[in-house]
Amino acid sequence: MIPLENYLVLSGILFSLGVYGVLSRRNAVLVLMSVELMLNAVSINFIAFSAYLDVTQITGVIFAIFVVAVAAAEIGLALAIVLRIFRNRSSINIDEAAELKW
Amino acid sequence: MSFYDTWSAVFIALIAGVILVGTALIGARLLGPFAREQGKSISYECGMLPTGKNWTQVHVRYYLFAIMFLIFDVETIFIFPWAVRFLDLPSHAFWYMVFFVLILSGALFYAWRKKVLEWR
Amino acid sequence: MNPFELISPQLAILIGAGLILVYDAIFPKDNRYLPWMALAAIAVSVSFAISLAVRGEYHVGFEGTYSVDKFSVFFSVVFAGIGAAVVFASMNWVDRVGRRKSEYYALLLTATAGLMFLAGARDLITIFIALELSSIPQYILAGWGKDERSGESGLKYLLLGSIASALLLFGMALLYGLSGSTFVPEIATFIGENASDNRSLLILASTLIIAGFGFKMALVPFQMWVPDVYEGAPTPVAAFLSVGSKAAAFAVVLRIFFEGLNAEILSNDWAMIFAVLAAISMTVGNIFALVQSNIKRMLGYSSVAQAGNFAIGLAAIAVVGQEFTLAASAVLFFVVAYAFTNLAVFIAVIAISRHLESDDINAYEGLAKSAPLLALALGIALISLTGIPPSAGFWAKLYIFNAAAQADLAWLVIVAVLNSVLAAFYYLRIVRLMFRNVEDQIGSAPFAIPKSIGFVLGITVLGVLVFGFFPTPIISVAREAAAIFSIG
Repeated sequence: MIPLENYLVLSGILFSLGVYGVLSRRNAVLVLMSVELMLNAVSINFIAFSAYLDVTQITGVIFAIFVVAVAAAEIGLALAIVLRIFRNRSSINIDEAAELKW
Repeated sequence: MSFYDTWSAVFIALIAGVILVGTALIGARLLGPFAREQGKSISYECGMLPTGKNWTQVHVRYYLFAIMFLIFDVETIFIFPWAVRFLDLPSHAFWYMVFFVLILSGALFYAWRKKVLEWR
Repeated sequence: MNPFELISPQLAILIGAGLILVYDAIFPKDNRYLPWMALAAIAVSVSFAISLAVRGEYHVGFEGTYSVDKFSVFFSVVFAGIGAAVVFASMNWVDRVGRRKSEYYALLLTATAGLMFLAGARDLITIFIALELSSIPQYILAGWGKDERSGESGLKYLLLGSIASALLLFGMALLYGLSGSTFVPEIATFIGENASDNRSLLILASTLIIAGFGFKMALVPFQMWVPDVYEGAPTPVAAFLSVGSKAAAFAVVLRIFFEGLNAEILSNDWAMIFAVLAAISMTVGNIFALVQSNIKRMLGYSSVAQAGNFAIGLAAIAVVGQEFTLAASAVLFFVVAYAFTNLAVFIAVIAISRHLESDDINAYEGLAKSAPLLALALGIALISLTGIPPSAGFWAKLYIFNAAAQADLAWLVIVAVLNSVLAAFYYLRIVRLMFRNVEDQIGSAPFAIPKSIGFVLGITVLGVLVFGFFPTPIISVAREAAAIFSIG
């Protein structure tokens, strides 16, 4: 069986990649994708912990399900807001959203 | 309890995070070619000059449908575990799911009344 | 007891939100009654909450994940009151925007219900869902305005908010991985037995959770969204963010840290995190507030500084240990006093900028002449924010400083007092500007304050004064609500 540490390292790397994306991307949609990566890294953590430590209750899996659902809601909302901004400005670079400093 | 004992995990996480994110940031800077000239960003670098816009205009309605689909699609994630264990569940679990689906149909009703479902 | 009775206050509000949407979907023309429907839902909700408290129906429901206790009832009533005040404050503005009225009120109600769930949630999953239930409507509301800045502030709030929830979730995942449970009391049992083995990882988890909620509270390293969102978002929404979402974050931090992570071996360490964050938040918030020329931006930084004051209470609670209720009730009293004061400030600003059509502080010059009552109300609220007696803010600060002093956090008290002096500069600057005698009145046109705004402004200012003169009843209520926690 794959040791638990591997999952944790994988999730740590994914989470860091998400942070990297948030820091380096200027396009709102790509920042959103990076945030999704962070959330999914956390889901991996939950599922791994659930599979290894908490076999009877599977609370972690349930938590992961809720994370997915909430992430979808956030994505839907963010795309809607991005659309609204894009219609006004025809650009979604958050640098150009410069009226409020990023 | 020494200072180190208390904060070691925080420091390790901090260092690991800085290293992971830092290598990605610096690596991208070092390895990625950066040539900021106009020619680089055109669609066919060595081909014919493109005419018109390279972005296809998609009607804004399309995105509304996509977002609606995304949300309703992901909500089914709650139905899967329920369906898998359905026979072992107590009877009120059925009514809970009926209630859940009713809430979703309420949202659909709202979207329909607000004419989001019409392609105008 | 039927578990749904336990969440009846929230259900009332959520059903109200649903009815508003359905009503508007069926009768799109007839939207005069929507705000009153929202207020009716809130009134029903408050009566349910109070009836639960009067009947003494303090139970846990839903397998222990939601608890009705004095603490959650206290916060439910506070949040319902905040929601009602914001409905009153936004009526006029929503009418002027004139589109999508039903959605506005429905989202406001949903956010309020989310905050109320947050106060009683006792399971990490419930806490997360309640947090998102309150956050997502707030993201939308922040982007509600017609201008571009509002859309940007909504996007910025959403992006930074989801990063904060990712950090929070990472901390929760660690906590779950260590203890094998998401149920806060079970985490407490685990920590009571095994804290010394996993101490360092538990501290990492606490740090991440503090980062996640620190965003909502607007504590300093996580405050970068505050001034921009406050400036860009519609003012009523900014009022809601500054009191509701902040108070809820403190409620849930009290719940997680004092019910879950309260083992003495840990509490001193995260108390130190809170103490340091408090000191930084106050200093940074006040210094940046000093140089702002836009009143909403200034209020944003002032809200960062006030978050520091809250955090003093959190730090004090953990250190005091046995004298726990004193400091915890200080935080709860601060929540009420701050809610009244800050709502009064924001509502006054709504009324004023509606007339001046400017958020520039200098435009407030000589306001006392053209609108004496409004200037008086804003002046009282600002005095309360500064912490000058006799106002609710004075007792709140005194109470919290006292708790910190008893907890041997003398250095923090000194920092806080110095910061209060600093804060007095920019709060009282506005008061002075307003009461300065100006010869030629530019804004001499008669000041028409909409009835709804005048009413709720009167109520909040009255609250500030009443709690300033008679703080004892609310202190004793706060004391009782805080008594449900005990620290090991």
